[in-house]
Amino acid sequence: MNIFSQELKMSAASMIYWTASIVLFVLLFMFMYPPISKDVQVIESILSNFPPELRRALGMTTLDLSQVLGFYGFLFIYILLIGSVYAMKSGISVLSEEIRSKTADFLLVKPVPRTRIVSAKILSILSNLIVQNLLFMFISYIIISSYVNGSLDTRTFILINLSLFQVQLFFAAVGLFLSVLIKKIKTVLPVSLGVVFAFFVIQMINQSLNDPKLAYITPFAYFDVSKIIQNVGYDTSFLIINIIIIFILTALTYIIYQKKDIPSL
Amino acid sequence: MNVIEIDKLTKYYGKARGIIDVSFSVNEGEIYGFIGPNGAGKSTTIRTLLALIYPTRGSARIFDKDIIKDGHNIRKDIGYLPSEVFYYDNMKVIDILKYSASFYENIDKNRINKLAEIMDLDLYRKIDDLSYGNKKKVGIVQGLLHQPRLIILDEPTSGLDPLMQQKFFDLILEENKNGATVLFSSHILSEVQKLCSRVAIIKEGRIISIEDIKALQKNNYKKFKIDMGEAVNDDYFNINGVANLVKNASVYSFLFKGDINQMIDKIHGKKINNLIVEDPSLEEVFMHFYEKEA
Repeated sequence: MNIFSQELKMSAASMIYWTASIVLFVLLFMFMYPPISKDVQVIESILSNFPPELRRALGMTTLDLSQVLGFYGFLFIYILLIGSVYAMKSGISVLSEEIRSKTADFLLVKPVPRTRIVSAKILSILSNLIVQNLLFMFISYIIISSYVNGSLDTRTFILINLSLFQVQLFFAAVGLFLSVLIKKIKTVLPVSLGVVFAFFVIQMINQSLNDPKLAYITPFAYFDVSKIIQNVGYDTSFLIINIIIIFILTALTYIIYQKKDIPSL
Repeated sequence: MNVIEIDKLTKYYGKARGIIDVSFSVNEGEIYGFIGPNGAGKSTTIRTLLALIYPTRGSARIFDKDIIKDGHNIRKDIGYLPSEVFYYDNMKVIDILKYSASFYENIDKNRINKLAEIMDLDLYRKIDDLSYGNKKKVGIVQGLLHQPRLIILDEPTSGLDPLMQQKFFDLILEENKNGATVLFSSHILSEVQKLCSRVAIIKEGRIISIEDIKALQKNNYKKFKIDMGEAVNDDYFNINGVANLVKNASVYSFLFKGDINQMIDKIHGKKINNLIVEDPSLEEVFMHFYEKEA
């Protein structure tokens, strides 16, 4: 419990900054919704001059930008991206913190088994992600509602938003796993950016090529916003794959961290 | 009862040598020295005892419990002071000490204040603003606040001024008087000499000797310095039992181990200007020891 609350204290500020930045992102880009939805034909005629592969890669073909949730869904691709970088960064930094800041000689000589340290730290990430998602969902609901005449399709809205949490869990697990696998991590953010963008690019190629095999290796395809809007639901097999991957990576994290030699100062 | 029992502990970092077949045991209530030059394997041994790293071969027991299987239980009663201390940023001294205390049961809350007062440590400053020596003091308070039964010190005095070193030694001696066992690693022999009863000497990853300090120092060696008033052969004093013979103009200095009358006979009848006979410092014995082994 003490490790958990200490971790929360150390990570709270960062969680708030990242949440604020995605809220700001939605707020700013929703300003563009009214003019775009009015002239959607014009925009679509411009877009139709783009090669179809590029349009697909950018997610422009399947989302209806004249609808508020379609537009939000388009923005959400980038919210997923930012949120994933945050989750990955949290995952990488939480267990490598003691090695990077050389505080292993403090925490790891305390009378706690290493598994308990891992659990407390994972729990702190989980709490941060839950709080972030609740905050974000609540604020963006208010923002989006203000652009709707009549009632917002709440079910679709929640399904879109919950995909953020699930993609974040994927990247947090990847981050945890990498952080125990790599001997000494010096910088966290560049690694996080690199890995998240790699998965994002795979999704762009996947959309552009319509290759169903590629979809299995990137969580951005597991939670394809346009399909969520179309089906008002998730693809069950992808949902399960995501859970299995998270489970395996977390288990490996426990095992490797338990056996890891902590490098000296 | 042995508080620490190390049996053929071996650690390789990949192919690089850490320690090889290290064995020694520390009695309850003892202050046990652990000396050797940098890179000899002192920290590797200590870090293995604390389960920060895992042995390649061999085993060790503390409080008669296995260091790997029962590591977290053992650590309830261990206070550890590493050679360099680092703490999380953006915390006050008191925060880090309270965080540290939260890991142990039955903590005497007054002890933080008492220890901080002895070590002259300001509890309400930020860790980031502390000097190296002050951080070290935080480490000392942090390592002792739960009244550990075993105190493990890894080169503890670096960064402390002589006054603080003395206070620190007094503190350790008091803990020892109250029943704590101490494992004291250092490459500074005079510290070890002051505190320890026995010492294990490690070199290139292997224990080369375990000595009783008083025996090592007092019973065996005498340090001679003789300023000769008449010329003698360079080898004149090089009899059996003499080591580190150095001639500087007319002054001969050396360590001698053996019957002191033999040396008196050598001097008898010669004209000498000055004669000093004293107990060598452990440093000198040790250097001789190391040279012989090398």
